[in-house]
Amino acid sequence: MRHATKTAARLLRRFWRGLREWCGDAAYERYLRSPATRSNACRALTPKEFYVEQLNRRYSRPNRCC
Amino acid sequence: MKRVLAIIVWLGVALLGAAALGKIALDRGEPLNATWFVVAAVCSYLVAYRFYSAFLAAKLLALDDNRATPAECHDDGRDFVPTNKWVLFGHHFAAIAGPGPLVGPTLAAQFGYLPGTLWLIAGAAFAGCVQDFVILFCSIRRNGKSLGEMAREEVSRRGGFIAQLAVLAILIILLAVVALVVVNALKSSPWATFTLAMTVPIAMLLGVYLRYFRPGRVLEASLIGVSLVLFAVVAGRWVAESPSWAQVFTLGGVALAVAIMVYGFAASALPVWLLLAPRDYLSAFIKAGAIFSLAAGILIVRPQVLMPPLTRFIDGSGPVFAGKVFPFCFITIACGAISGFHSLISSGTTPKMILRESHARFIGYGAMLLESFVGVMAMVAACAMPPGVYFAINSPSGIVGGTGDAAAATISGWGFTLQAQTMTDLAHKVGEITLWNRAGGAPSLAVGMAQIFSSTIGGERLLSIWYHFAIMFEALFILTVLDAGTRVGRFMIQELGGRVWKPFGRSGWMPGILLSSAIIVGLWGYFLYQGVVDPLGGINSLWPLFGISNQLLAAVALVVATTILLKMGRVRLIWMTLLPMAWLVLVTMTASYQKIFDSNPNLGFLSKANALAAQVAAGAIPAAKIAETQRLIFNQRLDAAVTGVLACMILVLILEALVQWYAILSRRKETVLHESPYVATRWAADYSGAAHGDD
Repeated sequence: MRHATKTAARLLRRFWRGLREWCGDAAYERYLRSPATRSNACRALTPKEFYVEQLNRRYSRPNRCC
Repeated sequence: MKRVLAIIVWLGVALLGAAALGKIALDRGEPLNATWFVVAAVCSYLVAYRFYSAFLAAKLLALDDNRATPAECHDDGRDFVPTNKWVLFGHHFAAIAGPGPLVGPTLAAQFGYLPGTLWLIAGAAFAGCVQDFVILFCSIRRNGKSLGEMAREEVSRRGGFIAQLAVLAILIILLAVVALVVVNALKSSPWATFTLAMTVPIAMLLGVYLRYFRPGRVLEASLIGVSLVLFAVVAGRWVAESPSWAQVFTLGGVALAVAIMVYGFAASALPVWLLLAPRDYLSAFIKAGAIFSLAAGILIVRPQVLMPPLTRFIDGSGPVFAGKVFPFCFITIACGAISGFHSLISSGTTPKMILRESHARFIGYGAMLLESFVGVMAMVAACAMPPGVYFAINSPSGIVGGTGDAAAATISGWGFTLQAQTMTDLAHKVGEITLWNRAGGAPSLAVGMAQIFSSTIGGERLLSIWYHFAIMFEALFILTVLDAGTRVGRFMIQELGGRVWKPFGRSGWMPGILLSSAIIVGLWGYFLYQGVVDPLGGINSLWPLFGISNQLLAAVALVVATTILLKMGRVRLIWMTLLPMAWLVLVTMTASYQKIFDSNPNLGFLSKANALAAQVAAGAIPAAKIAETQRLIFNQRLDAAVTGVLACMILVLILEALVQWYAILSRRKETVLHESPYVATRWAADYSGAAHGDD
C-alpha cells in the first residue's frame, strides 16, 4: 500500500513537471539553469523580459501547422 | 522465452489489425461499429511503429545516441533546450495538429468511409510519418536548419529559393481556406459568432495578466482563460435567444470575412504577448481536451457508421467537391496522412530541443501517427451521422437547390433518404437557425462530435451546448493557425522586401510591420473573399487548391530528404523516401492537371471560366450580374494560374534534384554533405533531460 502511494506520488510529480514544461511555466527556470546563462558575463533577463523575448522569437517562425 | 512471447504478442496485434482492416474493407452488410475503425487504426500504428519505424531508424538513418544533438551543443535556455522526450512529443504534436486532419477526412467522407480511412492509415505509416521523421533527423544533423536552408545547401540555390516561395504560396492558400471554414461555421449563427468573438477579449485579458501581473505563469492563466471561454459557450445561448443581441451577432459571409481579416491584421501587427500568444495557450489546452474527449467518446459510445463504404460520388460527381476518388481523396485528406507543412515544424523548433537522436523516432514518427488517429476519429464522427444529413450540411445550394424541400428531394434522389423536417429539427436541437448548405466540414464535424458527446453526457438536452463547444473548439484553433500564419507570412514578406529596400526588412520598423501585415492579409483575404462569394461555396475550389499546395510541399520535403540520403550512401534503401515522393508527385500532378484543364466545369478552372464567358457572350446572364460573373471568370483563371505555377515550381525543383542524383550516382561530382561535425555526447546513457534528471 505504502509502495503504491509512493509510486502514485512520484508519477503525479513527474506529470506535474512535464505539464509545466509543456505549457511553458518552467521556461524561465530552464533559461536560468542553461550553461549559456550561467557562463554569460551579462546579467540574466528578468522574468518579464524573458517572457516577451521568448514569445517574439517563438512567433517569428512557423510554429503552428494546418 | 521472452522473445517467443514478444513474437506471439506482435503476431496477435498484427492479426487483429488485419482482421479489423478486412472487416472495414469487405463488410457490406449491417452498418459497422466504430470500434472496428479504432482497432484497425491502433493495431496498424503499433505494427508500423514497432517494425517500420525501427527499420528506418536502424538501417536508413542509423541514429546515433553517442552523437551530441544541437540541444546539447548549443544549450542556451532559449532556442536550444534539451527537453524530455515526452514533453517534446507534446510540443511537437501541439504544433503539427491543426484543423487539416479534422476537416479533410470530413470532406473526403463524400466518397464513403473506405478510401479515406485506408489512406489515413497507410498514408501516415508509409509517407507522412516517414517525411516527418527523416526531415527531423536531417535537421538535427544540421544544427536545426530549416527546410529552405537544407534545400539550398543540399539540392541547389535555386531549389532553396523555390522551396521558400512554395512555403509562402501554401501559407497564403492555407490561411484563406481555413478562414473560409470558419466563415461557413459561423455564418448566420449568433451563438457561435458570440462565443468566438469573446475569445478575443479573453485572450487580451490573459495577455495583460501574463505580461504585467504573473509573467510566464501560463498554466494558471490558461485555466482562467479556458473557464471564461467555456462560460462564453454557455452564455452564447442567452445571446442567441435575445432578439436584439442575436441581431448584432448574426453576420453574413462577407461581414464575417472582413471581421476575420481585421482580426488577422491585428494579430500580426499588435505585440505578440497581447493577443496571439494567449490565444495560442487557450487553443492548446482546449485542443488537447477536445481530442482526448472525442477519442474517449467514440470508445464509450461506439457509434454505428451509417455512411456506406463507397458512395456513387467516387466517379467525380460529388456535391461537396468535384473530382474522382483518385486523385482527390488523397488531395482532400492531406494533413491526416501526410502534410508538407509538418516539414517546417520538423526543421524548426523540434530539432533544437531534442535530447538524443533516437528520440526522433518517437517524436517524428510517433506524433504523426497520433495525428493520423485524429483524422480517423474525424472520419468516424462524420460517417456516424445519417448520410442524408451529412450531404445536406456539406452541399452548396447551387447543387442541391435553394429550398429545404428541393434539397431533400435531390439528396433523396442520390439514394440517401432525407426529409426537410429532419434538418429543421436537427438545427433546432443544436441551437442553429439552419444547417443546410454549411459547406466546409466544420459544422458537420461539430454535429457528429455533439452527437457522440451528448450520448456520453447530458443526452439531447445538452446537444446544443456540445455542438457550440465543438464549433468553438474548431474555430478557436483554426484562428490560431490563421493568426500565427499571418505573422509568419508578415516576416517572410518583410524579409523579401528587405532585399529590395533595407528599412522594410527591419522587424521593429512600424510602417514596415503595418504594410507587410496589410500585404499578407490582402493576399489571403482576396482568396477568402473569392470563396465566400462563390456560388458553389468556395470549398469546392479552395480546399483542393490547398491540398495540392500542401502535398506539393511534402514532395519538396521528400526530394530534399532523398537527396541527403543519396549523399549519405543509402542507395539500397532509397525507396523508403523515393516511393512516397513519386506517389505524391503523381497525385498532385494529376490533380493539378485536372483542376486546370478538365472539361467538366465543376472540376476544371478553365472550363468553368469558359462556360461562364460563353453565357455572358450569349446574353444568358442578367445585366445586373455581369460584373459579378466577370469577377468569377477572373477568379477561375487566377486559380488555374496559381495551380499551374505551383506545379511548375515543383517540377523545376525535381529536375534540379534529378541532376544532383545523377551526378551522385554516376560519381561525376564529389558528394558534399553539409552535416555538422561529429561531437560526442557528454551525457550519461540514462540522462533524460534536466527537469527529469533527478527522477
